[in-house]
Amino acid sequence: MEELQDSSIHHMTAKVIAAIKSAKCYEPIYKELQRLVASPNVYKNDMRNTLEDAIKAAGLETEIRNMIYNLVRSRLRRLDVADGRQTTKSAQSDPLGYLKRAGVLWDRRVRKSLNAMCGELKVPLHGQPRISADREDFVAKWNELSNYNMDLANYRPVYAPKDLLEVLLSLKGPTRPTEKTDQIPQWEFSHIALPVKNLFELRTHYAELLRSDPYSVPDLAMQCQRILDSRHAPMCQQYLKKGCTPAPYRGALWASVLDSKLHDYDIDNWQKLRNSVWTTDHIVDKLVFKDIQLTASNDDQYFVFEDVLYQVLLCFSRDTDIANCVEYETFPVKGKTYEGPPSGVVPFHGICMFAAPFCYLYDSPVCLYYTFRAFYIRYCHRLTTINTHPQGIVSLCLLFEKLLQTYEPQLWSHFRELQIQPLRVVFKWLMRGFSGHLPPDQLLVLWDLILGFDSLEILPLFAIIILSFRKDSIMQVSSLDSIEAILADLSSIKVLPLVQLALSRD
Amino acid sequence: MYGGGGDASTMYYGCAGPVSDWTQRIASLQPTIDRSVATMYGRLPATVGTGAAGGGAGGGGAGGAGGNQQCHDRVKIGFCTDLDKSVLVNNFEKRGWHQVNGDDDWHFYWAGVQTCRNIFSVDSGYRMHDNQMINHFPNHYELSRKDLLVKNIKRYRKDLERDGNPLAEKTESNNSSGTRYLYLDFVPTTFVLPADYNMFVEEYRKFPLSTWIMKPCGKSQGAGIFLINKLSKLKKWSREAKGPFHPQIAKESYVISRYIDNPLLIGGKKFDLRLYVLVASFRPLKAYLFKQGFCRFCTVKYDTSVTELDNMYVHLTNVSVQKHGGEYNTLHGGKWSVQNLALYLEGTRGKEVTDRLFGAISWLIVHSLRAVAPVMASDRHCFECYGYDIIIDNALKPWLVEVNASPSLTSTTVNDRILKYKLIDNILSVVLPPDGLPDVRWNKIPSADALGNFELLIDEELAAQDEAQNNSSSSSHVKSSKLSSRWK
Repeated sequence: MEELQDSSIHHMTAKVIAAIKSAKCYEPIYKELQRLVASPNVYKNDMRNTLEDAIKAAGLETEIRNMIYNLVRSRLRRLDVADGRQTTKSAQSDPLGYLKRAGVLWDRRVRKSLNAMCGELKVPLHGQPRISADREDFVAKWNELSNYNMDLANYRPVYAPKDLLEVLLSLKGPTRPTEKTDQIPQWEFSHIALPVKNLFELRTHYAELLRSDPYSVPDLAMQCQRILDSRHAPMCQQYLKKGCTPAPYRGALWASVLDSKLHDYDIDNWQKLRNSVWTTDHIVDKLVFKDIQLTASNDDQYFVFEDVLYQVLLCFSRDTDIANCVEYETFPVKGKTYEGPPSGVVPFHGICMFAAPFCYLYDSPVCLYYTFRAFYIRYCHRLTTINTHPQGIVSLCLLFEKLLQTYEPQLWSHFRELQIQPLRVVFKWLMRGFSGHLPPDQLLVLWDLILGFDSLEILPLFAIIILSFRKDSIMQVSSLDSIEAILADLSSIKVLPLVQLALSRD
Repeated sequence: MYGGGGDASTMYYGCAGPVSDWTQRIASLQPTIDRSVATMYGRLPATVGTGAAGGGAGGGGAGGAGGNQQCHDRVKIGFCTDLDKSVLVNNFEKRGWHQVNGDDDWHFYWAGVQTCRNIFSVDSGYRMHDNQMINHFPNHYELSRKDLLVKNIKRYRKDLERDGNPLAEKTESNNSSGTRYLYLDFVPTTFVLPADYNMFVEEYRKFPLSTWIMKPCGKSQGAGIFLINKLSKLKKWSREAKGPFHPQIAKESYVISRYIDNPLLIGGKKFDLRLYVLVASFRPLKAYLFKQGFCRFCTVKYDTSVTELDNMYVHLTNVSVQKHGGEYNTLHGGKWSVQNLALYLEGTRGKEVTDRLFGAISWLIVHSLRAVAPVMASDRHCFECYGYDIIIDNALKPWLVEVNASPSLTSTTVNDRILKYKLIDNILSVVLPPDGLPDVRWNKIPSADALGNFELLIDEELAAQDEAQNNSSSSSHVKSSKLSSRWK
């Protein structure tokens, strides 16, 4: 037994080391280490101890710890899962095969639309060099792209939340019983065999939100500053679980949790991305412009940041690292495959709302970019693709339905009588992570909780909370439009007290 | 079964048994936390409006006023308004008032400045009775006219200085010429033209590179404003003004102020703040600040190059100016809430500087009001809501640009309409006695509930009471502690 444990630790260590070596930050750390070895504090005779001390003193230990923490969180866990899947299940016998297949098909369909748009408008998918006049104009207006003129009349978003919703609602699993299709249209999700938490499990997961701090700290800001000084990513994450992060520290805490603190190579990379935007004219540029003009520019919470968002999303579209980090569903499906933009992310209606809240945290577009990118890779992309991940949009929809059915049966049957899929009412909230729906100060609290508890499950839970909160009004109306009108204005919603209330029991 | 507004929850939730421990808790919170659901003015569809919203509007929104209306059923309150704005009329009608003519017996008059002048003029012979109230002070122009505001502030500072008041302490100016007030330096250097022309030229010569902004004293909404960076341009203007084509300009006086050429930019765009300040009385001074002010953004990128000096869309944030720009957005109207500004500044600059900025804004408002208080006719029938226009420079120092005595009640967007409706509602609940009937004998100390979204800036009467209670602390100490960190 011990032997087995030993070998498993050994196996893990080997994996971590391999992962570290392939990481971008490996080289600067390695160089720093070399410098330390050569420093006068490290003695040849007592290399091990003196080098360890030097590593600790230089703060390198924390950095390495954070790195391992993030690697274990993101990449290794994924590798394990992938290994497990491949060995145990073949494509045919996988009960979730249809879901994976749908995921692949959805992705393909989106790319196909993009390709079709390129064909229609006679522009190459890979982009074309900007003509020099345009390039000069573009560079000159880089900080005020809202003044950059172009004709966007022929461009429209490739897809909107509604399109994804329709696909989700039409998902058909093999286990779905066919005899139930009588009068009431089938619109439930419950046939999908994905495991989701119940309220009890959610309470356990979010238990710390309810824990009253025995060491009542008089000065949150001071505590926060100390945690930031320690630079320990796990402590930063722990802090976010309180849901009362002081605004001045949020940017640094998020960057720490998402491992997106700026390195020199990040700044170089940002400049490369920017140059790529300056030199090539890509169809996604137009889609990015169109999207910002349709959403953020018209939003009274975010319109002032319009120009920052142009920069961030344009660079985002060129970033090939994103395509490498995002996990897509794989499943053997026959048919033609299509290429996508360099980032692999086809802009949809509202994509800029994922980036917009970050404008309240960072003044510099570079800092904003890397934290937003990390957040997108970790969470947002799961909201726009069909996948089997426990925090993918399918699981979140399922969780929403199960919670509604179990804990708000009155609302559930009200929706049922009206033949309105409850998901229709909340889907845009889920897919955007409530961005653009909650006022920024509250949205940031909600996203604190996403990061703190490392889970998107708060989104369906919070959707239920809002429905429940406005239940009286919803019960009085009988059309989708009226329900949407009741839920249109969330400006009075306070996240933390409502979530705490919902999770607490007597 | 599901009828009724907020308090219905207790009726049918009880029987739900195991269903909803937490939903029940949520429902019981509904009237307190989610008050504005009920008052989402103009947002709910008609069907809901008659049920939940209609019922809630009286109770939730009106604060103290709603419940007390029955107290004086015998007196039907008559209102009169010169402005036919829905945000006004809806608020009056919500309180059960009825509209009357200016010649009839009214209790509450939302008047234009001209009407107000007529009512208070000696010639009219009109004498207001104890149960009447009007929304202007007779000589509000002491604050709202650009030349008089500056004159009053200058006099206020001199008076304080003469009395050796520590508030009037001066310091070496950082641009090497002369001194400036340490605590009372909140209006840009300003001169009245043509009267102070020589003084202006002297100042101009000290800072030949600065830009100056010319504004006609009596106009508003950005009319007649232009920028000057060369003395020759001013001379040219003055020659033209004397010419036969502009006889009206010759009569008018102008103010010329140092142009704040280092404004704080957000997203690269310039903005100013519009804050609403309610003055219930000038002697003793009782003033309240409305928490939901907003930033007004220019639609065009800020650019100080000379070629852009004549592009007023870059420099002036007035909505009336910006509306004519090609880029004006009708969904947000270039308006961004002060709460969002605070969130952004805290997130990107830190809490300390943000608190200092908002503290400085409260300070500026209070001292501008104290500057005019001695010359104001403090009639107990009057109250006034001022629109304060403030520019923040890139060192996060606020500058008072001007004060408007009749801030626009036109709503440019849905949110604007909600805001202004709430503003009027809150004004009424602060200035009216608890029973809702105007009464000059009321002590004008509203309850905390009645304040709504207003917060107390200063109440000299209350401050004096406090002071009498704890004689130990000096008067200036009390004031300064009262002023600190009111914004949250």
